[in-house]
Amino acid sequence: MKGKKKKLTPARIVMWFVLLVFAVIQIFPLIWLLDFSFASNTEMFTRGLLIWPENIRWDNYVTAFVNGHFLLYLKNSLLINILAVILVLMISVMMAFACTRMHWKLSGTVRGLILLGMMIPIHATLLPNYIIYDKLHLTDTIWALLIPYVAFSLPQGLFLTGSFMESIPKEIEEAAVIDGCGIYRVIVVIMIPMLKTSLVTVSIMTFLNNWNEFMMASTYLSSPKWKTLPFSVLEFTGIYASNYSVQFAVMALTAAPMVILYLILNRHITEGVAMGAVKG
Amino acid sequence: MKLRKAMAAGIAVATAFSMMPMSAMAEEEPVTIKVFSNNPDRTADQGLVEQTIFDAYMVEHPNVTIDVEALDDEAYKTKFKAYAAGSEMPDLVSVWGQPGFIDEVIDAGILAELNQDDYADYGFISGSTDGFSADGKLYGLPRNTDVIVMYYNAKMFEDNGWEIPATYDDFLTLADTINEAGIIPVAMDGGDKWPLYIYLTDMIQKSEGEGVLQKTLDAISSGDYSDPVFADAANKLREAAERNVFEIGFETTDYGTAQNLFTNGQAAMYYMGSWDMSMATNQDIPDEIRENIRIFNMPVINSDKAASTALTAWNGGGYSVTANAANKEAAIDLLNYMFLPENWTRIAWENGVCMSAQDFSQFATGTETEVQKQLMDMVSASTNVSGSPLGDLGTSEYKTVCEDTVQQLAIGSISTEDFYAGLSALVK
Amino acid sequence: MQKAYSNKKIIFTLVFPGLLMFTFAVLAPICLSVYYGFTDFSGLGKFNFIGFKNYQEMMKDKNFWMSLRNSVLLAAGFIVIQHPLAIITAALLDRMGRKAEGFFRCVYFLPNVISVAVIAYLWKFIYNPNFGLLNNIAKLFGFSGKTNWLGTGTAIWSVLIVLIWHGFGWGMLIYYTGIKNIDPVLYEAAAIDGADNKQTFLRITLPLMKPVIEVNVTLAVISALKQMETVYLLTAGGPGNETQFMANYLYKQAFSSFRYGYGNAISVIFVLICILATRLLSKVFPKEA
Repeated sequence: MKGKKKKLTPARIVMWFVLLVFAVIQIFPLIWLLDFSFASNTEMFTRGLLIWPENIRWDNYVTAFVNGHFLLYLKNSLLINILAVILVLMISVMMAFACTRMHWKLSGTVRGLILLGMMIPIHATLLPNYIIYDKLHLTDTIWALLIPYVAFSLPQGLFLTGSFMESIPKEIEEAAVIDGCGIYRVIVVIMIPMLKTSLVTVSIMTFLNNWNEFMMASTYLSSPKWKTLPFSVLEFTGIYASNYSVQFAVMALTAAPMVILYLILNRHITEGVAMGAVKG
Repeated sequence: MKLRKAMAAGIAVATAFSMMPMSAMAEEEPVTIKVFSNNPDRTADQGLVEQTIFDAYMVEHPNVTIDVEALDDEAYKTKFKAYAAGSEMPDLVSVWGQPGFIDEVIDAGILAELNQDDYADYGFISGSTDGFSADGKLYGLPRNTDVIVMYYNAKMFEDNGWEIPATYDDFLTLADTINEAGIIPVAMDGGDKWPLYIYLTDMIQKSEGEGVLQKTLDAISSGDYSDPVFADAANKLREAAERNVFEIGFETTDYGTAQNLFTNGQAAMYYMGSWDMSMATNQDIPDEIRENIRIFNMPVINSDKAASTALTAWNGGGYSVTANAANKEAAIDLLNYMFLPENWTRIAWENGVCMSAQDFSQFATGTETEVQKQLMDMVSASTNVSGSPLGDLGTSEYKTVCEDTVQQLAIGSISTEDFYAGLSALVK
Repeated sequence: MQKAYSNKKIIFTLVFPGLLMFTFAVLAPICLSVYYGFTDFSGLGKFNFIGFKNYQEMMKDKNFWMSLRNSVLLAAGFIVIQHPLAIITAALLDRMGRKAEGFFRCVYFLPNVISVAVIAYLWKFIYNPNFGLLNNIAKLFGFSGKTNWLGTGTAIWSVLIVLIWHGFGWGMLIYYTGIKNIDPVLYEAAAIDGADNKQTFLRITLPLMKPVIEVNVTLAVISALKQMETVYLLTAGGPGNETQFMANYLYKQAFSSFRYGYGNAISVIFVLICILATRLLSKVFPKEA
């Protein structure tokens, strides 16, 4: 089947057509966004679908970049998300090992409890967490985001690493343990390398989920110190209410880091997501 | 930006002389005042005025740092309540001197009491601090006099031979004519909902001419909206929407979009408060529109009772210091400094940003924009003002319900009877 | 060796950090919600215990039921519109050459990596009745182009379209992987038996994809229930409360209407509904293994 040369039959033309229509639907709004981000505000009110701006307005991007705190928010977003990913990976592997390999009575209960978290909506904790963090003076600190982000990504992380770990034969590490290798070393030296694919998946899922989050951030943060990238957009709609093209520029700019990252890591991301979903 | 810095320096120099002995004192403890403001744009409008004054204050008080967190109106109100539920309030906050916002906040003891004698020489218009007071105590200072007006594009009117309407019926006929020309008659920010209940109160004011505030307060506390003027106003709002006086989808059009429709020549008129007079100085707006922005007062409905000089106006926005502020004294000092007449009132007026709640006539320069001159005339000729609009006069729950249902009323998904029945049901 | 695997100290150190974090950020707040759900706390000052009053009120609260209805509608939209389209696209894509597959996969998935904040605002502009993209397209096809997409009646559908659009690539990708995992020998056998494309799809692809479909449907229902961010920015639940979703509604009650106690009561029911829905689905789709 693979080697067969594909001819352009009517059926194949229809296939191409359908796929292209979907591709246009998925991508056109983004092209539209990019197009008008280079226009002037008055050009927004044209009747046409796309325009060729009279002057390419790079200054929209300058405004967006400077006044949108772009670099600061990008740095915060990256820092918080990378820390969250690292913590989720560490904790998931540790727990998964304890729950699938070690012998203790509450093993099943603890695992079940955490997996229950997959069904709990993060926003249901929005109100009570506000009071808790406020009492502990954690509001407006990085912890106010990091703690819920990690806690709500943990169930999925444990699930994926746990089920993957179960499919790895025990003999390899048992041999090491008999040779007197400690549990911690077994996890770091033997388990982690074997779990590589599932760890990639957990990282990607955690990153994608938390990258989007802004309700917690907008409720718990007040100063720009830890605000994340979505705030560039949220703040601009108020500040530049009368200038749409600048708003478009800030939207395009905010979307850019992830789009670029995605285009570079395309293969890994799609495979990671696919594996996670087929497993789970 | 440059403008702001130059102004800050100007104020600093002007006040430096009077403050000489102060700044000669030994170095003071560093103080950080946290400000929570509803003006996210620090380079235009009221945000510019705020920031200019803050910058000047920091120049004069080198030990003081002012940290500003600023959000859009609606986001601000939500976050304010979240702050209020917690324990760490900022020191100086934006507030609205209307029951729907401030009553519960004062009851909960969140705001610090101010010393009324401090403001004897500040020239606050009589009655303007009432909304910020409870039981004879003062908890905040108003920063604007808000008047609801109809902005219109004078050039468009002239080119098409449209006249400023003299009666409400003329206004509706005018809207039909404008619609026929393929232009949106009135850009309406119905997505934020409150402009709709302002319209409703405007209708009552233009029918009754006086006593509107008391009538509305009585109706809210008793739940009795049987006075025909209420039903009539609600019907008028619905009628206007039905007749396409507003743009299609006005109920989902937000503030920025409504303004943009007007400032880009898509709409002939724009229904909004006097604070938007800054459009006339906003360089983002194309010249031919910016220079032709004019205003008129919504025409009267019942000319037997209401005069054409009856305004729908109130003192809304302002500032308070929080009771548990970490730097309460410093924050009050900053607040008092802000409202020295040569600060807020002068800067706001000279920049065409807004009319303060203080006497601003001494700062008239003669170089104001046309809109400013018109507003000044309108206010000085006014014979009656309505007070706060319907939704702002009850509790915050009342406000939310009123907002949701006035929107449903305008689009015709509930009837006038249901609208008032829903409001009556809130009396407990 | 047994000893090493049951060393209590080691087990404790492995499990404790995760358990602590989970308890602190997930369990404790839920308990606190249960507590506040029984009060009339406004968010300010003192409060009283009022028993089940909040819950009784919720049963009569039209907007609460509207939120639930919208979640169900969204889940149905995912299952009836998004997933069939995703499966068909995935099956078609499977027949393309390697390069084309990579290209389409990349394009379809792209909206998924863009932040919800950008997506919501972008669509707000697309839907704008006076100068939005959608009405301009409608005009191109000779319609009047005066539809208010986010207005009463159409708003919920417009919201559904955005969510279906945003998540399409994700669903497609998963089905695509599922189809790729099907043994090609089966297709060859079918071809030898003379089955056409449609028959192959219905008789081989779909049945073999059943486990993947089940997982995806479960995920769709959960994500429909959890919906908040897009709606918050796109319509804020309006006009009226037509596009209200539970998470958004509890936020509004707590922070706009000063009804923190009631908001928490909604949180509690919200968690229960999510757990119940997942349990129910796992009953509907029994594990074959």
